Amino acid sequence: MKPPSRRNLLHSFTGTALASLLHGEALSARNPLAPKPPHHPAKARAVIQIFCPGGLSHVDSWDYKPELTKRQGKPFDAEGKLQFFASKPGNCQQGWWPFRQHGACGRWISDLFPRLAGLVDDMAFIHSMQSKSALHGPAMFMANSGFILPGFPSMGSWVTYGLGSSSADLPAFVVLPDPRGLPPGGVINWGAGFLPAVHQGTTLNTDPARPPIDDLFPQDEFAHLKGDAERQSREFLQTLNRTHAASRQTNTELEARIAAYALAARLQLSAPEATDLRGESEGTRKLYRLEHPDIGPFGRQCLLARRLVERGVRFVQIYCGAENTTAKKVRPNWDSHEDLVRDHGYWGQILDSGAAALLTDLKSRGLLDGTLVICTTEFGRQPAAQGAGKGRDHNPGAFTAWMAGGGVKGGTAHGHTDDLGFKAAEKPLFCYDLHATALHLLGLDHEKLTFYNNGINRRLTDVHGHVIKDIIS
Amino acid sequence: MLCLASHAADPVFFESKVLPILQQRCFECHSHGTKIKGGLALDSRSGWEQGGDNGSAIKPGQPEASLLIKAVRYTDADLEMPPKGRLPTSEIAILEEWVQKGAHDPRTSGASKPRKGIDLNAGRQFWAFQPVRDPAPPTVKNADWPADPLDHFILAKLEEKSILPVTDADRHTWLRRVSLDLTGLPPTPAEIQAFARDNSPQAYETVADRLLTSRSYGERWARHWLDLTGYADMMGTSNGVYAEHAWRYRDYLIAAFNADKPFDQFVREQIAGDLLPATSTEDRAENIVATGFLMVGDIEIVNPDKAKMETDHIDTQMIKIGQAFMGMTLGCARCHDHKFDPIGLEDYYGIAGMLRSSPSSHKMPDMGVWSTINSTVLPETPAQLAARKTLESETEQRIAAMKTKQKKLTEERASVMAQLAALGKATAPVAQIAAATDNAEREVAPPTKTAPTADKDALTKRRDALDADLKKLAGDINHAEFFKDKTPRAFAMSDGPQPSDMPVYVRGNPYAPSNVVPRGVLRVASWDRLPAIPTGQSGRLQLADWLADKRNPLTARVTVNRIWQKLFGTGLVPTVDYFGARGDLPTNPDLLDHLATRFMRDGWSQKAFLRTLVLSRTYRLSSANPKSAFPDPQSKDPENKLFWRMNRQRLDAEALRDSMFAISGELIRDSGGPALVMENPENCASLSLKGVNPPNYAHKVPRPSQEFERTIYLPVFRNNFAGPDRLRSVFDFINPAMIAGDRPQTVVPTQSLFLLNNDLPRKRASALAAKLIADEPDELARLEVLWLRALSRPITSTERAEAAALLKAVTPPGKPTGSAAWTELCHSLLASNEFVFRL
Repeated sequence: MKPPSRRNLLHSFTGTALASLLHGEALSARNPLAPKPPHHPAKARAVIQIFCPGGLSHVDSWDYKPELTKRQGKPFDAEGKLQFFASKPGNCQQGWWPFRQHGACGRWISDLFPRLAGLVDDMAFIHSMQSKSALHGPAMFMANSGFILPGFPSMGSWVTYGLGSSSADLPAFVVLPDPRGLPPGGVINWGAGFLPAVHQGTTLNTDPARPPIDDLFPQDEFAHLKGDAERQSREFLQTLNRTHAASRQTNTELEARIAAYALAARLQLSAPEATDLRGESEGTRKLYRLEHPDIGPFGRQCLLARRLVERGVRFVQIYCGAENTTAKKVRPNWDSHEDLVRDHGYWGQILDSGAAALLTDLKSRGLLDGTLVICTTEFGRQPAAQGAGKGRDHNPGAFTAWMAGGGVKGGTAHGHTDDLGFKAAEKPLFCYDLHATALHLLGLDHEKLTFYNNGINRRLTDVHGHVIKDIIS
Repeated sequence: MLCLASHAADPVFFESKVLPILQQRCFECHSHGTKIKGGLALDSRSGWEQGGDNGSAIKPGQPEASLLIKAVRYTDADLEMPPKGRLPTSEIAILEEWVQKGAHDPRTSGASKPRKGIDLNAGRQFWAFQPVRDPAPPTVKNADWPADPLDHFILAKLEEKSILPVTDADRHTWLRRVSLDLTGLPPTPAEIQAFARDNSPQAYETVADRLLTSRSYGERWARHWLDLTGYADMMGTSNGVYAEHAWRYRDYLIAAFNADKPFDQFVREQIAGDLLPATSTEDRAENIVATGFLMVGDIEIVNPDKAKMETDHIDTQMIKIGQAFMGMTLGCARCHDHKFDPIGLEDYYGIAGMLRSSPSSHKMPDMGVWSTINSTVLPETPAQLAARKTLESETEQRIAAMKTKQKKLTEERASVMAQLAALGKATAPVAQIAAATDNAEREVAPPTKTAPTADKDALTKRRDALDADLKKLAGDINHAEFFKDKTPRAFAMSDGPQPSDMPVYVRGNPYAPSNVVPRGVLRVASWDRLPAIPTGQSGRLQLADWLADKRNPLTARVTVNRIWQKLFGTGLVPTVDYFGARGDLPTNPDLLDHLATRFMRDGWSQKAFLRTLVLSRTYRLSSANPKSAFPDPQSKDPENKLFWRMNRQRLDAEALRDSMFAISGELIRDSGGPALVMENPENCASLSLKGVNPPNYAHKVPRPSQEFERTIYLPVFRNNFAGPDRLRSVFDFINPAMIAGDRPQTVVPTQSLFLLNNDLPRKRASALAAKLIADEPDELARLEVLWLRALSRPITSTERAEAAALLKAVTPPGKPTGSAAWTELCHSLLASNEFVFRL
């Protein structure tokens, strides 16, 4: 990166007439990302969602099941009637990590998450989550968009559609994928569906070796010109565009396109700035354990999320895990079919360290009150072993999600599963309620946030959804 | 409890105890004031008597037989109410007592309405279901303006509002416009010059005919159609399962558009090609491939619940048929009568019965829960068969050769291993040699006498090389054997063994079948009874004939509107995929019907229709907004709904990419065939039909030519839907999970970044600069050519000066302007707004 030339580039785009275009009334009236008032006063102004793809096991983590411990090793399905997604149930398998009570609220958390356990008084759990699919892709789509079919807008898209952007220089909805790769279902998970495409999530490369956004800068071998010559070339381009627009008055597409070049130029400055962690204190770097070879990358994602929210990004989604392929040394996400201790053990310390650092950091900076942190997965895992092995199969019948900050009442819980954690038993719900609650905290009424598409006023929550009142303050 | 029981038949008991429970716990989802979920209303006696989808909710006096009691008891996991959680035991007891004592309920209000049904006669009054009319072109004041009868309809509307159409676009603009619209490519400098020189009155016709007969026409318009199919080269979104035959449907479309297959025939083939008569082997194969329309969409193939999966597949097909041909949202009628349009459950399940009679997937026998899409073996001509046999025998020979090599390498490896073992023994202690005397390898290759360390290193190295070769060879042999059968197949429909009517699935649930409905079509859009479906047939042929009938009020209207939208930017019905009650009304209904009538009268020829449109006066209008036209049309019709000017359009992803390659001279024009590079074993994995996951594909190694082929030939993926080609995802390429006739034209900074920094435009700029420098030594002449190639118009004098200044500015003093400077200039043009828009 060559700061002087970028700065010149910025001037060449934003100078004179363009500046008025960018900030003028005329454009903001049409700008789909212009800030919009909420339906009711908001508790949260931003969301950081941590998504654990592959299926995080609730019975090994957040959902304390003493009855399962009692039945350890006994047949789960003596009559042999059940068929799990990829296997027949084996014996009952207690949580692989012991549970303890934590915090003033006394909630039970397993030893898989020692750091998060210390923050339990800030967290609210939903133990009765269910999904409509036992397949990773469709269940991911459901968790993100409310529909198991691909092609519907994700929650982040709905939020930016409803509230607009509060950052002039960064995208409103940013996705931080695992540096190992994209999660099951790929980019569809943060697609805008039928909403205008400006609402789709922008992925930020989380591999520090790569530029933060694709095409932010030319690859070296194609960078024909440097410095001043490049600036002259860009000025020539803007001259072409201005001449073209001048003969076409009141042409909004052309104005918007010129503005897009200006925003692109700003991104060239703002994205590297937002992702440059060198200014962070030693204490912060240690908090997120950036130097740790396994834990560090996710810590970096979490730290980036905080920096983005600080800079006005509305919705940040962090993926803790990649595609669901077979294990090399360890599975690339939480999908622990054959060795849960190995895979959840690995991913557990990553999530524990990064998410706890994030909550602590947000809190210490006074950002947690206005930032809703959500931790979800696409489905849970079975309370029985997978066959005779050491893993667990998919369980769409029950899983746990938690929220913190942004108007959430800490130390609370909603719903529970049956004695074994097999199915949601009390207050069973789907992602609709979680989505409705998140929108509510952001000041949006999930029944009013609609978009007309082929004859239907579509909603994130389709025809479902209730705000979960007992976990909000 | 006794106390409760004694009052259970008492109205006061009902009012004070039962009703509050119903109101607080049930009404949210089961009353006329809010919702009637599952068809059950609990706000009147008749509501629960009649019951919902599962039948009567309460049997007075029989709590054990009452669904409501069963539901509140939470004993059946599939029937638990209220869904938020079990009621307190005391409340359940009240309900049990109430039912036990006869379920006294005085309420008659709430008016449990019987299912309303569809009022077809009222429905037919809606414009879209009225027969297509043939209105006479209206008279206009400015009689000189129209070039075609269609212009009369446009001008009459404008004159009504006192709007003057803008002036015509200049000839360069028109030529670039029509070239991009019909072929997706800009005109070449030679074509521009030919048109400029052609002073004959037929100059415009000559261009239109040239474009419509070019191969590029089909390549452009087939892609528009693919947007309505959910086309991709992968089956679902899971596990990279490849759709290896999908390309045949794409190639069929390109050929069909280029051959100007009459659209009514085209429609018949999409729905029921396999059931149509054919006069030749090629026709027969074509007809089969055409039904890929119903097969190439996003279909989940890994659902363990096969009944649910089948129902979902049918729904995908229903949505597609409804949207593509009828502009109707049929999917809404899967669970209930359509809320806004006169389409009932009977209509949905009438068509669904035809599709259910033609199964489109089957479970893979040795592959867990996986299913796959049905394919049909295509008939071959003798020449095709001979060519295939040759190919197969070549493959056999290649496999044999690889096996021979494998044997040879295996033997060599054994020999190397023996030599290594012998070397080990030669230096090993006596005891170990003794222990190894039984070693079979010793006998294969007796140890050599000389055994220096250098030999050992060489042997180890050789062994490792052999191991690597053998591993690759084993993979290659497996790959070649897996794909050695070259029998041509296509994803295609065929009638199942027992075509039959199907029941309505209550709430779309295949486990809740209700009354059987006869197979049929949309009643509201029918002019007569559907001809009887012959026994043993699915009925798709009858559906196809109904869709392709001139009396069908929807098909021609929907189709001409789609074509109009592609050329003019907005449809005459702006909601091109939805002609229903909540869609837009036609802005010019007479024109819509005029066009539909002409389209059918001209034998459903799309080329004839396009020719008419592009030669019209309306198509020739400038897209510039006049700054101060009087009277100002901008104030009267700011959205240009009446087409007083042309709409600018941003190039779609395909036109943008293809144009760049055409301009740089790198575009490969002769393409077709499989999009996936299956012939490269590196791209394929799990090549076995037994296992947990089916064979899959990852686009690791593209075919070298793919960098330069037209975009329609590139593989389409579902997960990362643009796949290796970033341009498509940045410029609004359709997500193949969606079916949409109209793509958004967004403006986002990532597009600017792409144009400025991605290597695709940068490489094109380099190639273009190199070509210009090679072709044209004179710099001024070179500028002329560059403007013609990139922007399809002559350079202006101002631009000439600015370009020269740029070239000078970016060239070190005293040096001649080199390729770097020219590349930069070319790149600026390819990133410019004028290039990105079609005016």
